[in-house]
Amino acid sequence: MGRLRHAISIIVLVALSTLGLRALFSVILALPRAASAEAGPIDTLFNAHFWMIAFLFAFIMVMMLYSVFVFRRKPGDETDGPHVHGNTRLEIGWTIIPTVVVLGFGVWGAITLNAITSPKAGEMVVHVTGKQWAWTFDYPEQGDISSGDLVLPVGRTIVLKMNAEDVLHSFWVPEFRVKQDLVPDRETTLRITPTEIGDYMLRCAEICGLNHTLMEAKVRVVDAAGFQAWVDEKSAAPAFADMTPEERGAFWHSAEGFSCFGCHSLDGSPSVGPTWQGLYGRQEQLADGSTITVDDQYIINSILHPADQVVAGFQPNLMPPDYADKIAAREQEIQAAEGIDIDITADLIAFIKTLQ
Amino acid sequence: MFKTLRIILTSALVRGIVGQALGTALGYAFVAGLRALRGAETGWIYEPALAFGAIIGVIGFLLGAGVLTDWLKWAIGRQTPLRHGAPAGRPEWSRYFNVDYNHKVIGIQYGISSLLILLIGGVFAILFRLELAHSGMQWLTNSQYNTLFSAHGIIMIAAILGGVGAMVNYLVPLMIGAADMAFPRLNAFSFWVSVPAALLILGGIAVGGWDTGWVGYATLSLRAPVGMVLFLLGFWVVGFSSIAGSANLLVTVATMRAKGMSLFRMPIFVWAAVAASLIQLTATQTVGVALTMSVAERVIGLNFFDPTGGGNPILYQHLFWFYSHPVVYVFVLPGLGVISELLPVFARKPLFGYRWVALSSLGIALVGFLVWAHHMFTSGMADALRVPFMFSTMLVAVPTGVKFFSWIATIWEGKLPSNPPTPLLFVLGAISVFLIGGVTGPILGTIPTDLHLHDSYWVVGHFHATMFGGFIFPFFAALYYWYPKMTGRMYNERLGKLHFWLMLPAFWVMSIGQMSVGLLGMRRRIADYDPALGIDGTQLLITLAALVIGWSVLIMIYNLAFSQRMQPVAETNPWRSRSPEWQIPSPAPEFNYDVPFEVVGEPYDYGLADATYIRDATPAAVPSGD
Amino acid sequence: MSAVTTTHAPAHAEHEHGLPPAQQVRANRLGLWLFCFSEMFLFGALLASRFVLWGNTRPELSQVMGLVATSVLLLSSFFMYRAEMGAAYGDRSKFLNGALLAAALGTLFFIMVVVLEWNVFGLEGNLFGVELFGHLTPADGVYGGIFFAMTGMHALHVLTGIALILIIWWNGRRGRFTPESHWGVEATAIYWHFVDVVWVFFYPALYLMGHLAH
Ligand code: HEA
Ligand code: HEA
Ligand code: CUA
Ligand SMILES: [Cu+2]
Repeated sequence: MGRLRHAISIIVLVALSTLGLRALFSVILALPRAASAEAGPIDTLFNAHFWMIAFLFAFIMVMMLYSVFVFRRKPGDETDGPHVHGNTRLEIGWTIIPTVVVLGFGVWGAITLNAITSPKAGEMVVHVTGKQWAWTFDYPEQGDISSGDLVLPVGRTIVLKMNAEDVLHSFWVPEFRVKQDLVPDRETTLRITPTEIGDYMLRCAEICGLNHTLMEAKVRVVDAAGFQAWVDEKSAAPAFADMTPEERGAFWHSAEGFSCFGCHSLDGSPSVGPTWQGLYGRQEQLADGSTITVDDQYIINSILHPADQVVAGFQPNLMPPDYADKIAAREQEIQAAEGIDIDITADLIAFIKTLQ
Repeated sequence: MFKTLRIILTSALVRGIVGQALGTALGYAFVAGLRALRGAETGWIYEPALAFGAIIGVIGFLLGAGVLTDWLKWAIGRQTPLRHGAPAGRPEWSRYFNVDYNHKVIGIQYGISSLLILLIGGVFAILFRLELAHSGMQWLTNSQYNTLFSAHGIIMIAAILGGVGAMVNYLVPLMIGAADMAFPRLNAFSFWVSVPAALLILGGIAVGGWDTGWVGYATLSLRAPVGMVLFLLGFWVVGFSSIAGSANLLVTVATMRAKGMSLFRMPIFVWAAVAASLIQLTATQTVGVALTMSVAERVIGLNFFDPTGGGNPILYQHLFWFYSHPVVYVFVLPGLGVISELLPVFARKPLFGYRWVALSSLGIALVGFLVWAHHMFTSGMADALRVPFMFSTMLVAVPTGVKFFSWIATIWEGKLPSNPPTPLLFVLGAISVFLIGGVTGPILGTIPTDLHLHDSYWVVGHFHATMFGGFIFPFFAALYYWYPKMTGRMYNERLGKLHFWLMLPAFWVMSIGQMSVGLLGMRRRIADYDPALGIDGTQLLITLAALVIGWSVLIMIYNLAFSQRMQPVAETNPWRSRSPEWQIPSPAPEFNYDVPFEVVGEPYDYGLADATYIRDATPAAVPSGD
Repeated sequence: MSAVTTTHAPAHAEHEHGLPPAQQVRANRLGLWLFCFSEMFLFGALLASRFVLWGNTRPELSQVMGLVATSVLLLSSFFMYRAEMGAAYGDRSKFLNGALLAAALGTLFFIMVVVLEWNVFGLEGNLFGVELFGHLTPADGVYGGIFFAMTGMHALHVLTGIALILIIWWNGRRGRFTPESHWGVEATAIYWHFVDVVWVFFYPALYLMGHLAH
């Protein structure tokens, strides 16, 4: 009789609390807007998990608080509780039932995973490169254009083929839900199918050193026509021969060039490396105590042998020592494509001189 | 006053620190000198010298403190009887600053150092929480922020390992009726070796910090600032403490139980300690390998992880998580043991399903070994591994669930006091907090949802809840509950309740807040976030909650420190517990049980009139040979 | 246990409150086995790393050297066994000679690894047409890394083992072990055999398995 009353109260309380908690969750534990096809099945799974969390939390807390308040010791009562050691049926039950439930969730998870990772028709490949602390995107199917923003056509499944140059990074746009690390020397892939036109932010989700916080890139999802227009504009772009050295210097500083911006600001704001604003002709104190004036020689040396002359207050060995090779390779590439000789370091110096 | 100072200045602690400083200097000078001899110039911190100096420094500490003295004497064939009590002519309190072999002293040494570094780690958290209270950079640089959260993580974990050491050392010999641990000198070693380890980690902050978080992933670890090396070595040395301590405990439980105490008649906490020790004994070695490899790659140039030489950065993650997942159960199992231990006492009912609860600890430990790659779902590891690890991860929920259901069944129809004392409050709080921590685990364990949640603040919320619920709350419960046992006095009940009622709600705000911002896109390990995420308000709440938690912990420290003198003497058995340690005076005598006991009944027979758990062993049953 | 008899018992330093000797040896033995069990994970992790990084390949190493070194180490285990038997049956000279031989062979093994295989002195030379000194250097990518890590970690254990053997030998000469009480000898022997068994797994993993890389 007493048992029945307890059972009914518990059932009612648990049901109410579960519903209440689930409602509360949709306020305080809300997901960001969903903007990819992958987000659909993932959010369904989220929803199921939230229901389970609500129920389990409600169930155990109701039982606990019920025991605390309903069965608590009455004043003057000095006796012990009933001598109950266990109940095999109950114990088997609360082992088997959760097992079935979690395995069910496992199966569901596996099915969802398969759905969001399997190849789709009409995929488009984009190469993603992450390095401390900048992103570059290359579009092999669009004539190898290269960009610092990720621009994607809506409704098409994009296969991101990703690579890191130095340390681990991670690709995450919360609205797309999925995430994948970038590993040096190893290609990782991620599939996303943007479904909502709009602007998003890609932010590196794996700690990658000093400026991990700042490792971001703009993501723009546009319609097919807009994408084509963007591709056209991009591929029309640099015939290096037509650009002034200053323009080329600005280009090398950007993500399509060598991503110098990851460490060197142009507006005087502090970063990992010295700002380029007012750099040319500046007096710099070096870590070894000597003072130099920034001139062509110093800039060239700092690009090719970054560990040589470190400015006081900056960490040595942050700047990769392989720019000499990268620059030479790029110069050769341009020589092959356009038949002109470009001096990239000279371009950069010309650009820096404009930043007084 | 002067005498006190002299005693402290000549204590093992101070001698050890001096030894460590000397050793470090010596090692540094040796390697730097060798290099100078070859005519190479060095920067002002030369890393190989620092690494070598750090290792010699640890040995210097152990020699200086005198931890190794007895063993060195054995090696040359000298007998060294175990010293008991304070060294001649020194006051009782000086034992806590010196190498002492009594498990209760060592337990308290662990406990105090654990609280101390909990405070340091907490202050770090508060410092970087102030930075995060608002978007935009407030007062830290990126590099300071990175060092602070990395140090916070590892220091808190060291604090937990210390707290586990405290509970296990103090309680297990008492509970099984042993006079001490099986290897008292090894026990002292386990504690003392963790002191130079902690100093190494703090030294890592002093020489400029590091920025990899507590996980130290390659290849970032190979280019992180120089503090990295001290962090890696410090973490590595802590491992010695874990391995030695756990082997000691396992042997103690295996060979020194009181007569009649079969495995299923041990107090339940002992089961938890055994399960946790099994993990520590084995898994620690693999993280040791990972850390050694990282140091070797940084310092000597061996190649394991850097792909430019053919290495594999993901290998580091496998080795690391093979330890660091199971170790989260080291953090919680003793805490869950405390919950299982206290509930029957307060509910005046037997522990429901004792055997199944005991075995669930082993179950958690064993399944815990099979799930490590759930931290790596997005890492780019072999695709074929993802789904199997998802299933194994989901299965850990089962033995953990057994514990929850048994706790509920234990207090169902139990007679919990209507005005719960502080330890009970903390136990009930722990259940609620660990529950939310636990149930936010499977959502991380299913891969599709983890793809969103990984490296977001949801994870931060999840693990603060599990660690607070599984360790911090139960540890505080244990501190209050066994306080009379340790000191002979009662803590201040009103301050204890104040502590609880400040900390519980503040914790909920902090942890739910973290989960909430994580879902919305807040990444881990960032010093600044985009105001466009719309989370400024929640972040401020989290910071405020952190401050409240901080204050509440300070209240507890005050309570524990001053109750020792100002509170009334405690009754022998204030909780009317049936556990053996409460049947002897408080504080427990040097050798625990002057008359050995034998076990004649079940440990939790509350509610059964004239049931007995233990009684004085008949003299004939005393093992001879003494 | 209701009647509490004594209050805080004064600490008496002269009274040994350790375990009775027989029980202590049992505890020691268990402790040592647990230690070996723990170390299995250390060496296991190294082995696993070898398979991850080398896969089905191996570096070029002198097969003769590997085989000789392995035999030397196994032989030393045999003498260690004789030493232990000597101690157990009170045969002092068998014990001392066995221990000394085991230590000598262990040292030989150590020298073969460090001087010959690692070639720390950068030497060159031939013996019966066999190249005496190894070519692999720590800078040789993962091959150098794993090889030096595995042999180095093992050599460290060998070195510890030699030190332990010398300690029991020194104490044995002073007659500190009896057939009834020679735990130190037993422990050293177990440890030494363990270190050998580890090499039994390392040797094929380093020298035999997989095909030659380039
Ligand atoms: C004390 C510590 C502790 C504990 C106990 C746990 C417990 C669990 N953890 Fe947690 N975890 C951490 C500490 C802990 N964790 C830490 C520190 C990290 C981050 C490390 C870092 O990156 O820095 C982490 C990260 C982490 C991840 C990686 C997230 C990521 O980075 O992407 C995952 C993924 O699977 C995970 C899962 C789980 C699961 C499934 C459990 C389970 O054991 C939980 C089981 C409990 C319950 C489920 C509740 C009770 C059960 C019932 C009431 C029965 C019925 C239940 C069901 C039917 C579901 N944890
Ligand atoms: C037991 C473990 C433990 C504990 C107790 C805590 C306690 C706290 N943790 Fe921490 N935390 C970790 C383990 C723990 N943490 C780990 C492992 C990480 C991961 C690190 C990594 O990413 O690598 C982490 C990361 C982490 C982050 C994420 C950082 C990032 O990714 O950028 C945050 C952010 O909010 C945080 C906050 C807090 C806060 C506010 C507390 C508070 O509860 C602290 C409360 C304070 C005290 C207990 C100290 C007492 C207070 C004082 C002595 C001073 C009082 C002063 C004033 C009030 C002014 N922690
Ligand atoms: Cu790149 Cu974080
Ligand atoms: Cu885990």
